[in-house]
Amino acid sequence: MKRWLLAVGMTAFSAIPALAQPAGDPVRPLVLLAQPQAAAPQDFQAAEMVAEAWKQLGLQVQVRPLPSQQFNQVVWYERQRWDATTWQMVGRPERSDPDELTYNLYVSANIANGYDFVGYNNPEYDRLAKAQREELDVNKRRALIIQAQELINRDQPQGFMVHPKNLVAFNASVWDESSMVSQAGIGVRSFWTWIALKPKGAQKDVILNSTSSPTNLSPFNIPGAQGSWATELVWDRFMRIGPDGLPRPWAAETVTRPTATTVELTLRSGMKWHNGTPVTIDDAVFSLEAPGYGDKSPMYRPFVANIAKVETTGPMSLRITLKRPDAAFLVSSLSKLNLAPQKIWAPIFEGLKNKPETAETIMEKLPIGSGPFRFVSVNLNEQIVLEANPDHWAKPNIRRWIMRISPNIEATMGALKSGEINFLSDYTGDPALLADLAKSNPNIKVAEALDIGFKYIAYNERRTPFNDVAFRRALSAAMDREALASDAFGGAAVPANSWISPALGFWADPGIDKRVPGGTVEAAKKILKDAGYVLINGRLHYPPGVKETTPVYQ
Amino acid sequence: MARHALGRLLHLVLVLWVVASLTFVMFRLMPGDPTLNFLSPTFSEETRAALLKSFGLDKSLWQQYIIYMGNLLRGELGMSFLQGRSVVAILLDALPNTLLLTVVSLTIAYAFGVVAGAFLAFRRGSVVEAAAIPAALATRAAPEFWLGMLVLAGLAFQAGWFPTGGALSPGREIDNFADRVISGDFWWHLALPALTLTLYLQGLPLLLMRATMLEVLNDEFIVMARMKGLSRWAIVMRHAARNALLPVVTAFALGLGASVGGNVVVETVFAWPGIGRVLVQAVQSADYPLAQGAFLLIAFVLVTMNTVADLVYAALDPRVAVGARR
Repeated sequence: MKRWLLAVGMTAFSAIPALAQPAGDPVRPLVLLAQPQAAAPQDFQAAEMVAEAWKQLGLQVQVRPLPSQQFNQVVWYERQRWDATTWQMVGRPERSDPDELTYNLYVSANIANGYDFVGYNNPEYDRLAKAQREELDVNKRRALIIQAQELINRDQPQGFMVHPKNLVAFNASVWDESSMVSQAGIGVRSFWTWIALKPKGAQKDVILNSTSSPTNLSPFNIPGAQGSWATELVWDRFMRIGPDGLPRPWAAETVTRPTATTVELTLRSGMKWHNGTPVTIDDAVFSLEAPGYGDKSPMYRPFVANIAKVETTGPMSLRITLKRPDAAFLVSSLSKLNLAPQKIWAPIFEGLKNKPETAETIMEKLPIGSGPFRFVSVNLNEQIVLEANPDHWAKPNIRRWIMRISPNIEATMGALKSGEINFLSDYTGDPALLADLAKSNPNIKVAEALDIGFKYIAYNERRTPFNDVAFRRALSAAMDREALASDAFGGAAVPANSWISPALGFWADPGIDKRVPGGTVEAAKKILKDAGYVLINGRLHYPPGVKETTPVYQ
Repeated sequence: MARHALGRLLHLVLVLWVVASLTFVMFRLMPGDPTLNFLSPTFSEETRAALLKSFGLDKSLWQQYIIYMGNLLRGELGMSFLQGRSVVAILLDALPNTLLLTVVSLTIAYAFGVVAGAFLAFRRGSVVEAAAIPAALATRAAPEFWLGMLVLAGLAFQAGWFPTGGALSPGREIDNFADRVISGDFWWHLALPALTLTLYLQGLPLLLMRATMLEVLNDEFIVMARMKGLSRWAIVMRHAARNALLPVVTAFALGLGASVGGNVVVETVFAWPGIGRVLVQAVQSADYPLAQGAFLLIAFVLVTMNTVADLVYAALDPRVAVGARR
């Protein structure tokens, strides 16, 4: 009996330390920021689904919609304030090289003011990102990019949701479908389609749509996604991202890299500006140097920041010396910079000296380029009309390229049906409606393509408990990506777990979307339990001894 | 009368100054600034500083205000941040489209409203009145976007009689507004937005005319006219209707002012390139000079039309001007 009592007593005594370590504070109510349902219905729906999943972990989560400007202001400039937010990176041809996102999204140098607004800080990642940027051997660079993706998968600085699919539709009785060129990560609404597209009959004008007005169209301005569709046709670039997603010579006949920090190129001969004057090697040098003049081209300046020197080496050739090796230079700079006529733009830059304005705010009445299309008229609230440039070596088959600007997507679908437009290039509505339209109109064909971009939930690592990798991994595990893709995004998306889309086959980490740590709500609960989080009366508490020190988002 | 007119003009200037100051402050107090339109992975603090300097937003609020008011006095509204053109040029491109849409719709709506209102007053208590009043109220109460979408669905999507949006057919370019006005293509595109706006606007003059007519029809001079043996039609149209028109004319002037700024929805539904669409886009993208200019223009038209209505009233009824002096 005495022994029994002693055993009970000892057992009870041994239990005391556990009782002395109660759970930590309850995790404060969390706020997930999103754009309003009216502005971004799919993203809002996704945020609601994610919030519901997180509630199953014992969290109190509220989705808080903010108007677009305020949303950007809070996320970007009030970095200590918010908990988590929906966000997206859109696909652009120059993002076919993974460097721009690999470097800017997660490198710690960008925490204070740059695109690492989640505050992810990992020296190991910094090293990999820097190494891939300087590695010119493409296979070795790929290995580094794969390692970087694995690291981000482990640390989950953000919860990837989906890679969206681009949906476009066109009138197959007007356009020869086989002449369309699908570009990796972009689809058939690509530069290559506009120059290869063949009409089936008398209609030779491609009439497409944009849901928003572009900003001013200039070779030194980035005019938003839709404006870029026009500018890339009007201004030639030294290189272009090909349908395969890789850079290929365009206005440059040849491009070579004799050393890690030099690039030599030969300009294509016989090129002319739209006003008939020849494109010279001086124009080419000017186009590479002008964005770096003072602060007169702030949007383009980053693309020439690594250029130390540009010198002509012959009547049609030049050499670029870089400050440091840059594996992505051909994509991020030579496929991005527009060839601009020196005679027109040099005096403009000269006139801007000692003035606050930049070259980005200047728009010629009818801007001059050398590309396969030239401007006929520009009315940023109504339509942009381009016509084929008959003097271009890649002369298009179509006569005119007309972009109609209409914010009413339902009316635009009606316009496709009635033939007012023949290429629905900017569709932001429900994928099912577009499918129905195609079903009831045999001439209308829908084409979809996996986008380079992605949508995600950014976790603010400056704030508890998001600074805890286990907590982030659990949040990511709880997100049902298949359901997000099919329900919130109407099937026009695929699950994501990396910033590199499967559309970029060479750089993507195959199957990474299936390797989210945990991967289910139950596994998420286990991750939290293993990390010491405790569920009390259905509410998640921090591990023992941990106090809630972060104020609730107001 | 001259003193009354001067007083109204001073009032107009004061109201415009208040509107100009409020729009200036309002946009700058809103969260965010125009640089947020340019966020991208390559966006840096250096980029932001250069953009703010370029927009003149690096200066203190007072400095910006003084520059803004100084420009305003010279008739300059600045340059649009995003379109790279002067705000005046952008507004002058859009204003004729809005004015034409407004004037056409208002004229048809008021012409119809006046005649129908007088007719319904004349046929008070009839089945026609019992059906027409709810119908007028329904179109007046229906949201404009819904009305617009119904019109689109019926006359453009199904029947295919009219285009779905824009001011001209794709690829057609007519820069000169006078040439646009004589173009059949322009009027074909104007038809549906004008119809929608007309349906929306006709309720007010119809109900106003009917109510005033019912009041006037009970006046002694109408009894006198009946006693003289005039026909019912002559009594209604020559005597009653003319007297009942005054409030409707005032409403027309005010409606013209209000519609210039109030066409936002119709212009968006039909992609009509007017002031309303410019305003929406400017506000969405924090293009301060353009938004300020659009608001100021709308306020100017509204206040001017109020003043015109006031002055016309004073001319028609001298008691208004005398009352103002007291």
